[in-house]
Amino acid sequence: MKIDKEQIQDMYLRMRKIREFESKAQSLFAEGKIPGFVHLYLGEEAAAAGVCACLDDEDFITSTHRGHGHIIAKGGDLKYMMAELYGRETGYCKGKGGSMHIADRERGILGANGIVGAGHNIAVGAGLTCSYLNNGKVVVCFFGDASTNQGTFHESLNLASIWKLPVVFVCENNYYGISMSQGRHMSIKDIADRASAYGIPGIAVDGNDVLAVYEAASEAVARARKGHGPTLIECKTYRQRGHFEGDPGTYKPAKEQEEWLKKDPLPRLVNIMKETGFTDDEIAAIDNSVAAELAAAITFAEESPSPKVESTVEDVYSDIVEEVRVR
Amino acid sequence: MASLGIIANPASGKDIRRLVSFATVIDNNEKVNIVKRVVLAAQAFGVDTVYFMPDTFQFGRVVEESLAREGVLTAEIRILDLLMEGNADDSTHAAECMEGLGVDCIVVLGGDGTSRAVAKGVGQTPIVPVSTGTNNVFPQMIEGTVVGMAAAAVAALPDPYKACVREKRIEVWVNGNMVDLALVDAVLTDDCFVGTKAIWDVDRIRTVVVTRCHPATIGFSAIAGSCQIIRDCDEGGFVLDVSPEGRRTKAAIAAGVVQDVGIANERVLKDGEWVRVTVDCAMMLALDGEREVKVVSGDDLQLRICRSGPWRVKPEEAIALHVFQK
Repeated sequence: MKIDKEQIQDMYLRMRKIREFESKAQSLFAEGKIPGFVHLYLGEEAAAAGVCACLDDEDFITSTHRGHGHIIAKGGDLKYMMAELYGRETGYCKGKGGSMHIADRERGILGANGIVGAGHNIAVGAGLTCSYLNNGKVVVCFFGDASTNQGTFHESLNLASIWKLPVVFVCENNYYGISMSQGRHMSIKDIADRASAYGIPGIAVDGNDVLAVYEAASEAVARARKGHGPTLIECKTYRQRGHFEGDPGTYKPAKEQEEWLKKDPLPRLVNIMKETGFTDDEIAAIDNSVAAELAAAITFAEESPSPKVESTVEDVYSDIVEEVRVR
Repeated sequence: MASLGIIANPASGKDIRRLVSFATVIDNNEKVNIVKRVVLAAQAFGVDTVYFMPDTFQFGRVVEESLAREGVLTAEIRILDLLMEGNADDSTHAAECMEGLGVDCIVVLGGDGTSRAVAKGVGQTPIVPVSTGTNNVFPQMIEGTVVGMAAAAVAALPDPYKACVREKRIEVWVNGNMVDLALVDAVLTDDCFVGTKAIWDVDRIRTVVVTRCHPATIGFSAIAGSCQIIRDCDEGGFVLDVSPEGRRTKAAIAAGVVQDVGIANERVLKDGEWVRVTVDCAMMLALDGEREVKVVSGDDLQLRICRSGPWRVKPEEAIALHVFQK
């Protein structure tokens, strides 16, 4: 598959944005500036970047509790993301969703989701809509390894298969469901094997090699767009941090962590870029642009106001305004 | 006292060719079933120790526990104490270790790529390659019971090489150094990164070198097979360039994908004859179907075919020798 210099640069930009955003979120959380929980995507950048590089703005994604990377890769604005993490009214969800609930309808981002396995059904619903409208759009469903033990995963693959929906299921196998290693919660090694039970293609790729992810995803997306149905792609990757910030991750063997850090997707892509003719200055220019964008996003968040108390029951599905007012 | 090594690749049969072609799906639990049959047949034919490569799926432990629970395991199962890297090097290191231990025969489950990894680690130990991969030319689709019997038979033969063929291999030399090898084919492609490793796009192929070819095979050696039949026992190999302006031929380049291919400059290669390839930009050399060696403009890339590959067991001959020459 031909991948030109511009495409590689685009994927690097997405990955670098995720890396810097997450690194900053880590330190801001430690400083107490970000409330609630944050689940960082550090180490898994190649999966989101490689997949989303195959999508158009009009395509859809569903995400997980570890969703920052997906949203950035799909084109989410760092300003509104950071404001949301800060809980400010300029954030994507007016500061009331926080890290785990960022959505952007205009970018086809159907939402991060705090419930493990809840994105599968949403992706199938979106896929059914795309199929019904015959609009040529594709839905990518991101999820983790442990969520494939949930009924929603199996129901979703079954429905997507039988209806030939344009959904690409992307499992980010980071080998842990919270603190439980994969070998303790399933007796298979490759989640891609689960595809055959539903009569769809299932492939495993090196999820820390963005070009491998891109190759696999572009074939799967093309297949979905042509109406040939869903695909399951398993990206083998690794969560470099704990499940959430504050989790020391003591259940991860030190040797394992050390080996995976050697496979960090960012330096691997930088090496490829240098081999394919990128200069140090070109790479530094991208890094500098990301740093500037992130600094502006933090300033934007810190200067934004918190939501007003009166807005508490705005934008909720249930019309409980009257009830609250009465109380 | 006869011993057997088993190298089962947990990653075989799951690559992108399930998406870009119609390749076979074999999950690891099915490989476990095959390995169980190998072990049962081998112990029935006199093998008392079976060494396993450690792997992320833990084939050895799974097979041992299952057969022991059934009360049918008589051989001793030993898992090699090796550090796993989760890549093809595991197979190479396990093969080296097994040969060092004096294992009589090694059964290899995987595709061409897995056999290639093992070939890099063995010298004189016979191997039985069993197909659980994708476009397999080197390993055979063969029942596990027969594999176990054949491996045990070879282990018991006074001269095991009577039931084996010494395989050819392609040596890859870059700038005067041998950097890698292939058992079936070496394919130069315009891709300049490893990516998903597999190759499937004929339009990106420049040159194909093969140790064997037949029109009835699957993969890029099938292109050469449309010009000439060269068997494992024949000397030399074949080389051709893929060219849109070249003579058109039809070949099964992947499972379910039979395609028109333009070829030029095709010719038979003698044993040891060098093929020098012009490298005018960054390219990848795919070995036995997987992008492995990167070359850049100005590199001196040379390939040659030599009969210095692994000893491959001919299962039917091994079993027949064992059964009828007692």
